[in-house]
Amino acid sequence: MKTKLFAWVDRRTGAEAIIKSQLTEYPAPKNLNWMWVFGAIAMFVLILQIVTGIFLAMYYKPSAELTAGGFSVAFDSVERIMRDVNFGWLLRYVHAVGASMFFLVVYIHMGRGMYYGSYKEPRELIWIMGVVILLIMQGAAFFGYLLPWGQMSFWGATVITNLFGAVPVLGDLIGQLLMGGFSVGDPTLNRFFSLHYLFPLLLGAIGGGHMHALHPVHSNNPDGIDLDQNDPKNVVMFHPYVTMKDAFAVSAFLMLYMYIVFFNPQMGGYFIEVDNYLPADPLQTPAHIAPVWYLTPWYTILRVFEVKLVGIAFMGASLAILFVYPFLDRSPVRSARYRPVYQGMVIMFFIDVIVLGYCGHTTTTEATKIAGTIATFYYFAFFLALPFLPKFEKTKALPEGV
Amino acid sequence: MKLKSILLSAAACVAMLTSGLAFASGGGMVFKHADTDVTSQAQLLRGLTVFTDTCMGCHSAKYITYKGLMDYPELGISRAMADEFRGDNALSSGLHTELAPEDAVESYGKVPPDLSLVVPGRRGGVDYIYSLLTGYAHDESGRVDDGNYNTYFPGNRTAMPDPLGWLDHDAEDTAELEQQAHDVSAFLEFIADPHQNTRRDLGVYVMGFLLLLTLVLFLLKREVWKDVH
Amino acid sequence: MTDQTDHSRRNFLYVAAGGLGAVAGAATAVPFLGSMLPAADTLAAATTEFDVATVAVGQMVVITWQGKPVFVTHRTPELLAQLDGQDDQLKDPNSESIEAVSAEWMKTAEQRKTRSIKPEYLIAIASCTHLGCIPLYKPSKGRTEWGDSVPSDWQGGWHCPCHNSLYDLSARVVKGSPAPDNLHVMPYKYTGDTTVVIG
Repeated sequence: MKTKLFAWVDRRTGAEAIIKSQLTEYPAPKNLNWMWVFGAIAMFVLILQIVTGIFLAMYYKPSAELTAGGFSVAFDSVERIMRDVNFGWLLRYVHAVGASMFFLVVYIHMGRGMYYGSYKEPRELIWIMGVVILLIMQGAAFFGYLLPWGQMSFWGATVITNLFGAVPVLGDLIGQLLMGGFSVGDPTLNRFFSLHYLFPLLLGAIGGGHMHALHPVHSNNPDGIDLDQNDPKNVVMFHPYVTMKDAFAVSAFLMLYMYIVFFNPQMGGYFIEVDNYLPADPLQTPAHIAPVWYLTPWYTILRVFEVKLVGIAFMGASLAILFVYPFLDRSPVRSARYRPVYQGMVIMFFIDVIVLGYCGHTTTTEATKIAGTIATFYYFAFFLALPFLPKFEKTKALPEGV
Repeated sequence: MKLKSILLSAAACVAMLTSGLAFASGGGMVFKHADTDVTSQAQLLRGLTVFTDTCMGCHSAKYITYKGLMDYPELGISRAMADEFRGDNALSSGLHTELAPEDAVESYGKVPPDLSLVVPGRRGGVDYIYSLLTGYAHDESGRVDDGNYNTYFPGNRTAMPDPLGWLDHDAEDTAELEQQAHDVSAFLEFIADPHQNTRRDLGVYVMGFLLLLTLVLFLLKREVWKDVH
Repeated sequence: MTDQTDHSRRNFLYVAAGGLGAVAGAATAVPFLGSMLPAADTLAAATTEFDVATVAVGQMVVITWQGKPVFVTHRTPELLAQLDGQDDQLKDPNSESIEAVSAEWMKTAEQRKTRSIKPEYLIAIASCTHLGCIPLYKPSKGRTEWGDSVPSDWQGGWHCPCHNSLYDLSARVVKGSPAPDNLHVMPYKYTGDTTVVIG
């Protein structure tokens, strides 16, 4: 079957061995369900974001210099992309909607890992790299949101940089490092553009590590059991079985994604916020300021505490605790299918995050404040209860094979 | 075109869902429905006339150029009309008002906002614009002067004095004024995203193609997985 | 179902999926590559309007069109007379070598000689066809004004300082120059008595 050209390349690169080890002879559990497709979809969205970003950067200009009507060079360049650049509107909507879709997919991917215990021994490092990816994604999204230099861009960046400014002793220094000045301004925009270009490349690299780390330990499975990877009763080869399944999943996902891009790109102000159609005005804060939906759970944790510094500490802790999650959970059983208590807890946790997200999005009322406080409490309680769980959780018997 | 109708009905379902979301982000205010059709050249051209005759007295739309008025097929005005509108301005110039910002501040207390992106830039979108234009009323508490009181403006006190003359208009003019408000709302909706009709047209083909691709990949996946189990 | 039919169904689906995937890939390339073409506002700036009456008699100015320098020369009858009788010294006296040196309006022999719609106004792209330098305008005959930068029998025209290419007063390249072609001309039209729209 080998063509001469392939043989030539293979002799110099070992391509055939790579293809075998990664695709045609790489075993994947036979019983993976549809929740296992979101990793592939996330990779697809990342690539699409990088490619659209490269093309958008050919026209985008990171300058806060004012132009007629209170707009700026940056805002004008975005509108030029939307109006004058051939298919610029398509590239920009794919990129802007893509940010939300990327988070949606990654959150589902994380939820799958949590439910089926994919973070547990021996896959702790994969989970930890995933958390690093999440943090870099949040950074990339935050930097990217500043670029259109709209009202939400400006005030979102102002609020977040002020957060870091509240860190004791080093606050002012960190604030100035981020902003390159004493408030969000032209230097901030320039460095955010530079970092917005850098971070996705980091994502690519760490994403590669995330996948590479999967190879020695192999994929988890819905039963969370150890499988003999050489037994054809347990596994199928990655190609063509998983590749074709992923290809179908990506295509189905694209239908949702492209529907939004072509028919509802602002998503009622959830994906592109209403206030970001107004040019940045350093002298006037929008009446209602909230981060984009994918950051609102953390925003709620920040807001429920009266003391600013405590809020920041808890928001930091809510992300940091994800790193130690694999070590807090000491149960020998992985999948929630066989852990009745954990199953209830983790489903509650998913609902909890949605509640946190909702509270962070709406204007604060007495009700959302109480809900936010309870949800924040549960967020931490979930993780902190894990070490004690094996003492009283009666796990169900695990199946022998798939 | 069975495929198209299936797609459209699927689209309608999602649209209903998402318009619910849109309402949720509208801040609770219920607006009057703007009857706009951004594919209607007649309505857009009527809206353009209202815009140039009335709005442009104070407002600009800098992202729409005179050349754009000629080039967008939905508007497609003639070179002669564009020349008439633009006066001494270059074809590549945006629609700028003649009102100087300093004069505006003196007369109205603030600089009137650019209207290029006013529709996506306001909660309630095009319905808000229509409601605002036909929302002038007498303040029953008497705190806000006539012409500055608007039912739909957040806080009710607007610096924009009743542009269409809605307040105390004669009953027989109601239909005419409402039509003007609908038309100019449509125009503003169009210029905020002048490729929106192309986008939706192209979207139908993209969705059709993706449906086919997904179907084939589904059959392929099922075929490949046949030998497992 | 036999193994045979089973296989053909699978192969058909592979080919169909591959084909659709290729279509998707090609269709996706269109907006990406399309976005790299000149944008609408750049295209709108692709024409330049210029009043040739602003060029004094006998003088030349350099204007820009699509970001490129363009010569607009106002030739006197004397300068036009200098065009005659030297065809044997020119590489391409009738501007026929390549498309870019000719224009739709070059119909008569006279227009091929003057390379202009109105004989007195020559409009040509100011890039030497050798390597793109901007030639210097040296209209008068002989070496009086120009020293030995031009040959002793100089008939007036342009001299490129980079590699000594020579052009006559219709911007036609002189034999022996490293430049292969006459200076390029572009489509333009008179919209008024002296108003030209270039491009």
